[in-house]
Amino acid sequence: MLDLARLQFAVTGCLHFLFVVLTLGLAPLVAIMQTRHAISGKPVFERMTRFWGQIYVINYALGVFTGLVMEFQFGMSWSGLSHFAGDVFGAPLAVETLVAFFLESTFLGLWIFGWNRLPKWLHLMCIWLVTLTAYASAFWIMVANSFLQNPAGAVRQGDHLVLTDFGALLSNPSLVMAFPHVIGAGLFAGSFVIIGGSAYQLFRKTPEQEFFRRSLRTGVVWGFVGSTLAVGFGYAQFGFIRNLQPDKFKGAVPGLSVELMTAIGQTTQFVVMLVLLPLLIGNLLARFRWVHPLLMIMTPLPFLAAILGWLVREVGRQPWLVYGKLSVADAMSPGLTRGMVTFSLFAFAGVLGLLALIDYVLIARTIRRGPARVDLGAVESAGPAPAPALAL
Amino acid sequence: METIWLAIFAVLLIGYFALEGFDVGVGMLLPLLSRASERAGEPGTAQDHRDRMVRAMAPFVLANEVWLVAVVGTLFGAFPALEGKVLSGLYPLVVALLVSWILRDAALWFRRRIDGPAWRAAWDALLCAGSWGLALTWGAALASIVRGLPGNPFDLIGLLYGAVVAAAFAFHGRAFTAWRLSGPTESGRAGRRLLFTAAVAALPAIAALIFTAASLLDHVAPPATLNVLSVIILPVTPIMVGAQVWVWRTFRPNRPGAAAARIPSFF
Repeated sequence: MLDLARLQFAVTGCLHFLFVVLTLGLAPLVAIMQTRHAISGKPVFERMTRFWGQIYVINYALGVFTGLVMEFQFGMSWSGLSHFAGDVFGAPLAVETLVAFFLESTFLGLWIFGWNRLPKWLHLMCIWLVTLTAYASAFWIMVANSFLQNPAGAVRQGDHLVLTDFGALLSNPSLVMAFPHVIGAGLFAGSFVIIGGSAYQLFRKTPEQEFFRRSLRTGVVWGFVGSTLAVGFGYAQFGFIRNLQPDKFKGAVPGLSVELMTAIGQTTQFVVMLVLLPLLIGNLLARFRWVHPLLMIMTPLPFLAAILGWLVREVGRQPWLVYGKLSVADAMSPGLTRGMVTFSLFAFAGVLGLLALIDYVLIARTIRRGPARVDLGAVESAGPAPAPALAL
Repeated sequence: METIWLAIFAVLLIGYFALEGFDVGVGMLLPLLSRASERAGEPGTAQDHRDRMVRAMAPFVLANEVWLVAVVGTLFGAFPALEGKVLSGLYPLVVALLVSWILRDAALWFRRRIDGPAWRAAWDALLCAGSWGLALTWGAALASIVRGLPGNPFDLIGLLYGAVVAAAFAFHGRAFTAWRLSGPTESGRAGRRLLFTAAVAALPAIAALIFTAASLLDHVAPPATLNVLSVIILPVTPIMVGAQVWVWRTFRPNRPGAAAARIPSFF
């Protein structure tokens, strides 16, 4: 039963990260596109904002669904964690949900439905606030996760931990390099979706050549920034990990995962830096049609690396939930039965898996249809208005 | 300090019921409201009427549902000893609540992503089913919490309380569509009525809070934790209130400017 509950957390966690990493990457890139439109007034930037923004928004939905299950699952399956470490671990999670995600979701609603309704600069401010609060969300989640990796700032009192030094939670060596690593991984994934989607449209020689030439350029530049951050702050973590969790890579799963992740990250970063970036000169990359299928095939690589990285971090901590202090087995909620966990595992994995599949189909479809047929920020074309359905 | 966090928890839970209550209510009543519009002789198909209802609530959903995310976060941060007990004690109900919530939301996000009547009608059916699931599981969950988490939460009392919550949400949802779709002359009255139904929708949560306040205070986190939470969260509450007010100001009915009439809805 312990394995079932762990599997449930692992499946929902991996699905969550798969979507969240793209959210983290696309939010700032969409915000930059919209800023360029606000400054230059060029229509192409507005179209880019709406097109890549729609992909961002479709992806965001699954990030929320999986995130809800994550948040509730702590209490459902692992009530031993809130009993043992809730006074410490609960604080960053509360800040994340009560402030960061609360604001992120509110501002995203204003951004999606405020199109053509809010003044231009306020609408632009919304997407930047969404980005800022998304980063804040990632930060607080990483604070909480880093506490599990290295329980700093707390001491044992009786049967549970009490918070003694909140600053130590924020300066946790498990956090300081891992947070920029995750931010880099997000930009890496976001730009590779832009690169892959642009390559598809360029390869098919659709009429949107200028649109996707510009998108490809944005993707490659930020892909370079993201992959360099991810790889750099990835290597920077090894020293800390050796001190904090010397046996982290001993197991088969974390050992293989860390090698495969490093190989993918390092190779792709070299390809972006030494091949794709120089080929932006004279728009060669957009013109070399034979490269485009390769670019499309590369799109899943940062996602694969992100999941592998997550596996290293989480599986490498086993059998501990709070490293060295509380084992996963001891944290399981008392009173759970095999039937309950099997039922919920099938319910969550089934529903979320199916919705994830639909979500990816919808993203692929948005890319295939191109920028001319985007719902986000659309204005009804002039003509016989189908009133009164549009009376709002 | 303990009372401040009890008050924050109460405000968030009551806020969730008063706000998300109308989204759930509109979802529950989707087939009924569209049939009522048809019978009233309004032009358009059943799908057009459903679109109109969804369009009415769409800009509010994201800002409303996060209240529950905040409720659970506050439970974890300020009442950690209770969080695990309640959520694991309600395990099957929480699974049902989450699946209902996710299906309701998926229906909203996906219903317009592919054109075609079958696609949208199927998601609308899920939207309705998910909303019913949310209301009923909330009722059963509150009834179970008040009674100290009995073994079987799906008993008669649980179902009855579910029916009460469902009725309150439906009542609130109907008042919301009336307000949101109201003309300039009737919006004042419809707004006052919406405030009243918001109070009705919040009642089931208020009742549960009255019964559980003492137990919440017994399980509050130690001062060191609450101080940290207060220092970080209290200074940003004006921004959170401001963001919520901004949503209501932006999407109130009859905003001046005819341009709004030609903006298609994303949900």
